[in-house]
Amino acid sequence: MKNTDASIHPYPAGDSTLARMALEASELGFDSIVAIGDAGDQYHGIKVLRGAVICAASVKEVLRQVRSSAVRDADVVFVNAGDISFNRAVVAVKEVHVIRNIHATRRNAFDHVAARSAAERGVAVDISIAPIVHLRGTKRQKALQRYADILSLQRRYGFGLTISSDARSMLGQRSVRDIRGLCALFGMTGAEVGEALSSVGRITEPHRPVRVVG
Amino acid sequence: MKPRPPAMRAKRRYILVRILPYGTTADQKQVYLSVVEAATSLFGDAAVGLAQPAVVFCDGGYAVVRCRRGTEKDIAVALATVNAIADERAALRTVAVSGTIHALRRRIKPIRPFSEAGDVKFGETYFTVYRYPRQKVDLVEKGIKHQKSLFFTEADLEER
Repeated sequence: MKNTDASIHPYPAGDSTLARMALEASELGFDSIVAIGDAGDQYHGIKVLRGAVICAASVKEVLRQVRSSAVRDADVVFVNAGDISFNRAVVAVKEVHVIRNIHATRRNAFDHVAARSAAERGVAVDISIAPIVHLRGTKRQKALQRYADILSLQRRYGFGLTISSDARSMLGQRSVRDIRGLCALFGMTGAEVGEALSSVGRITEPHRPVRVVG
Repeated sequence: MKPRPPAMRAKRRYILVRILPYGTTADQKQVYLSVVEAATSLFGDAAVGLAQPAVVFCDGGYAVVRCRRGTEKDIAVALATVNAIADERAALRTVAVSGTIHALRRRIKPIRPFSEAGDVKFGETYFTVYRYPRQKVDLVEKGIKHQKSLFFTEADLEER
């Protein structure tokens, strides 16, 4: 999985079916996508992973939701970011793979403590291009600031990044080249974008020491 | 007025973009306004003024955007942030960048729906079905304005 769109929302959450979005993703240069709340399969040569999003106000609620069957069956588990204490605690939850919606949080909601913890536990932070594409004015400026802040923490502590279109329609999907250009707006280099696009593969199939069986 | 000698003219680049969804009958001026709005909100008046973006061609689901040489990457990024054309949801996909319009015209492959358009009913809503190559099926709600669109494939439509 070299280029993965880390989250799309197919029909009925959006207006495009999973097969159509997979077809579009293949034309846009992706080889895999993570479909939120939809069954994983192979469409038009695109590997479709199942994603689950946990939206909770407290870590207790997150721990309750990770036990649900929808989350247990998911290949990639996302948690919507919250305040500083929530984010620090949620990166320590074993079942959580990615923290998303970071652009919607307050300035220091994901700080150096959460960054260090995320790097140690292999939790990635999602960068959604939807706010850059769809928002205008101060809201987009704030999103770009947040992403630049996350990038500086990532360079310091080395936690993973994922990049998602967060598309609810095939009109919201963007090509790998467009994503490189959009991520350059907040200072991300081409190599970092390439690394981030391939990080879902490392989340689902992490490098582990070789075990001697038998 | 005597034209400038070639060596003194500003060098230009042309960007070929595909307009989505298929079948969008976008007016050239409306495409220009969308491109300039997206570029201005992203890079500001000064940068866009220097880039001099213009839409020089718009037909058959494609548009050619002109800009000054050296600014084509910025304009391509701005094109990725276009969400709507004339209040209708749309997206622009960059296909190619060239120094001549002639070279881009060779890259244009018109995408037209297959002739047999049908009707389908989802719930209480009737949709017109447009079939495109690669088994793409666009469903457009029957109505006069601001119709809802759904994007399926042939297999999805058969399942329902």
